[in-house]
Amino acid sequence: MSEPMAPPEPTGSQPDSTRTGPGRLLVAVYGLFALSASARAGVQIATKFHHAPVAYLLSAFAGVVYILATVTLAIGSPTARRIAVVSCSVELAGVLAVGTWSLADPATFPDATVWSSYGSGYGFVPLVLPVFGLLWLRRWTKRPRARRATVTSAEDAGEAAGGGVAHVEGGTPGRGAENVVTDGRT
Amino acid sequence: MHTVDNPACQPGGLRQQRSPAPVTTKRSNITCVNGAVPTTIIVAGLALAGYALLMTALNRRMSVPLLAAVGVLEILLLVEVGIIVAKLASGERPAGLATLIGYLIAAPLVPVAAALWGLMERTRWGPAVIAVAGLVAAVLMVRLHQIWPVIHV
Repeated sequence: MSEPMAPPEPTGSQPDSTRTGPGRLLVAVYGLFALSASARAGVQIATKFHHAPVAYLLSAFAGVVYILATVTLAIGSPTARRIAVVSCSVELAGVLAVGTWSLADPATFPDATVWSSYGSGYGFVPLVLPVFGLLWLRRWTKRPRARRATVTSAEDAGEAAGGGVAHVEGGTPGRGAENVVTDGRT
Repeated sequence: MHTVDNPACQPGGLRQQRSPAPVTTKRSNITCVNGAVPTTIIVAGLALAGYALLMTALNRRMSVPLLAAVGVLEILLLVEVGIIVAKLASGERPAGLATLIGYLIAAPLVPVAAALWGLMERTRWGPAVIAVAGLVAAVLMVRLHQIWPVIHV
């Protein structure tokens, strides 16, 4: 798949975890939505639940999914990544389903949810975010394959890059092994 | 965006233009955000976002000038929070008090959280986090004045 001697990217720009590199931005935006969706749903459910119960419960559900995605992307362990894939998928399905539902049956939604009209009230970020999340997770879980072949050179380069990646080196072989097992690579 | 409680804010709403409201003139936007401090925050937030995105595009890491710009935004947000708290202390109450208090707590935390999270990053994506904070600060000001349009300072 790739030359054993050449890492896929320069090590300096290579993300060490799902929370570094582009993941840093992803976790930040997810955290923002986790906070805003759950806080808003909390206020709405506490103060005027009967005004739009379906909308508020969906907002609360969206908030929970965002919190789950934020935390698991920030942790980045193999288990956390699997949960992150599930929550990003649920999120994508949710924004598509609720977006369509809110357009087809506006009476159910006297007040909007995060996912109403495919997230148009939030600049369609709720629609784009899970796509980027899944792309990021997919790309990241592919890496250990290439990295397994170049694990020695990658670790050497990692040491040269400085202490910032030191904590990751210990975890890398475990993650690589885990991925080979789960991928069922033959 | 969801329904705004105060209809006074509806016609000139920056982010919701469902009705054919006269939003063509410059002044119509000021219906919602009509104070020197929030306007400055919006301009500063957007400028910070532009600057930070430029740093990301140029493949730069977090820098002292960028952090200083975040600090300026933070000070402006604290001034705005102080103005609103003073208004609350004088006995005035908006319709959505719980939401307003939530915004008052969240707004000053955004630049701090973004700076801390961005500083942990050693690549171009640190400034990208700062860009998000700038945009969020601008959006928060617009939302704040949709919640409570009486803020004129």
